[in-house]
Amino acid sequence: MNAPFFKFDMFSADFSLVIAFAIGIGFGFALERGGFGNARILASQFYFTDMRVLKVMFSAIVTAMLGVFFFVAFGWLDLSLVYYTDTNLIPQVVGGLILGVGFVVGGYCPGTSCVSAATGRIDGVIYLLGVIAGIFVFGEIFPLIEGFYYSSNMGRVFLPDYLGLSYGMIVFLVVLMAVGAFAAAEWGERKMAIKKSGGVK
Amino acid sequence: MKFLELIQKIDLKIKLAAIAIFLGFTAFIISNPFDNSIVKINAKDLAVMVQAEVDHVNVDELADWIIKGKSDYRLIDLRTEKEYNNYNIPTSENIPITNLLDGELFRNEKIVLYSEGGIHSAQAWFLLKAKDYKNVYMLRGGMEEWNDKILFPKLTSNATQEEKAKFEIASAISRYFGGQPQIVTGNELTLSVANPNPTPKIQAPASSSTGGAQKKKKREGC
Repeated sequence: MNAPFFKFDMFSADFSLVIAFAIGIGFGFALERGGFGNARILASQFYFTDMRVLKVMFSAIVTAMLGVFFFVAFGWLDLSLVYYTDTNLIPQVVGGLILGVGFVVGGYCPGTSCVSAATGRIDGVIYLLGVIAGIFVFGEIFPLIEGFYYSSNMGRVFLPDYLGLSYGMIVFLVVLMAVGAFAAAEWGERKMAIKKSGGVK
Repeated sequence: MKFLELIQKIDLKIKLAAIAIFLGFTAFIISNPFDNSIVKINAKDLAVMVQAEVDHVNVDELADWIIKGKSDYRLIDLRTEKEYNNYNIPTSENIPITNLLDGELFRNEKIVLYSEGGIHSAQAWFLLKAKDYKNVYMLRGGMEEWNDKILFPKLTSNATQEEKAKFEIASAISRYFGGQPQIVTGNELTLSVANPNPTPKIQAPASSSTGGAQKKKKREGC
C-alpha cells in the first residue's frame, strides 16, 4: 500500500524513505514487543497452543479496516490515491502456500525474521539469508515463470463488488468474524493448556 | 458511580471487542463511504485557469520533453483505438474519452491530454478537473498541430534568414519523430530531404515517405 500523502507531492521521494524507516522501526518494535521475534511463539500458532499470531493479525485488520472506512466516510482519505495490486488468483494461492510452508519450517515470516535478526537471534539471521537467497533465485528464474506469474488475472477485485454486498456490510461481517475468531482462540488455548497439563486445571 | 465501577470491572479485551462491534455496526448503517455521484466544482477557479491558459502545452514543448526523455507526466491519447494505432505521438497511452474516469489515472499525476483537434481534450480536461485531478494539461492544437509543426514543418521560399534558422531546428526535430520537413517554392512543394518528389501543396507526401511514421493528414473535427 502506498501512502496517499506521497502521491499528493507533500514530500519528496527521498523524504518518503525517512518516513518509511520510521514506520518500519515502529512496526518492528511492536512485533518484538508482541513476542514475534521468537520462532517458538510463532510456530506454536500452527499447533494451536498459542494463538497470538491470529489475534495480532485480526486486531491489525480490524483496526486498519475501521480506520480506513471511517476516514473515507469523513472525507479525510481519498482511496483512489491508494495503490492496490491486481488479483492473480492461482499464482497468489500458490505463493501463499509456499510462504506458509516456509513459515512452518523456518518458524518466521519474512517480516518477523528481520525483527529476530535485529535482536541478534542466530536462527533469524540464517532465515534472513535464506529470504535473500530466495529473492535472488526468484529474480533469476523469473523469465521462466513469468507467464504463470501473471496468469488468472482478475484485475482489481474488492470483496464488496465481488459478493455484491455494501462496503459497510463487509466491514461488519469481518468484525464479527474477528471477534468470533478471538473467542474461539481463547477457548482453544484454555483447552490446549488443560490437555498439556494432563487434564489438571 | 456504580455504572463506572461496573465498566471498570469489565476486561479490556471485552471492551475493545464491544467498540469494534459498535463501529462495525455503524459502518453497516453507513453502508457506502464513497460519494461519487456529487461533484463540487469551483467555477471561479476553473474560469481563472482557462483565462490564464496555464493548462496548455505547446507541441514544441511536448516534442522537447519527449526528446529529453522526461517521464514526470503521462501523455494520454483520447482518440479511438483505430486512430491511435494508425499513428500516435511517441510515449502516449490510449485512453478513449469514455474510459477516462475508470481509474487508470491518479489524481496527483501530471496528465497531458491530446485529441485530433482541441475540443475533445478540452472536454476531457473539464471532466478530470471536476473530479479533482490536480495537474491536467492539454496539447494546444492537438494532433493537427503536431502534424503541421512537428512532423511536416514548412519553409516558404520568401523566408527570412531567421525563419530559415528556425526551420533547420524544426527539420531536425521532424526527422527525430520520423516526419518530413517541407519547402514550399511558389505553388510547388518540395521535400528538403533527398529524393525531392514534388507533390501538390498542403499534401503530406505519404507515398514517398520512408515508411517509419507516415501518416495521413486528416482535417476533421475533434
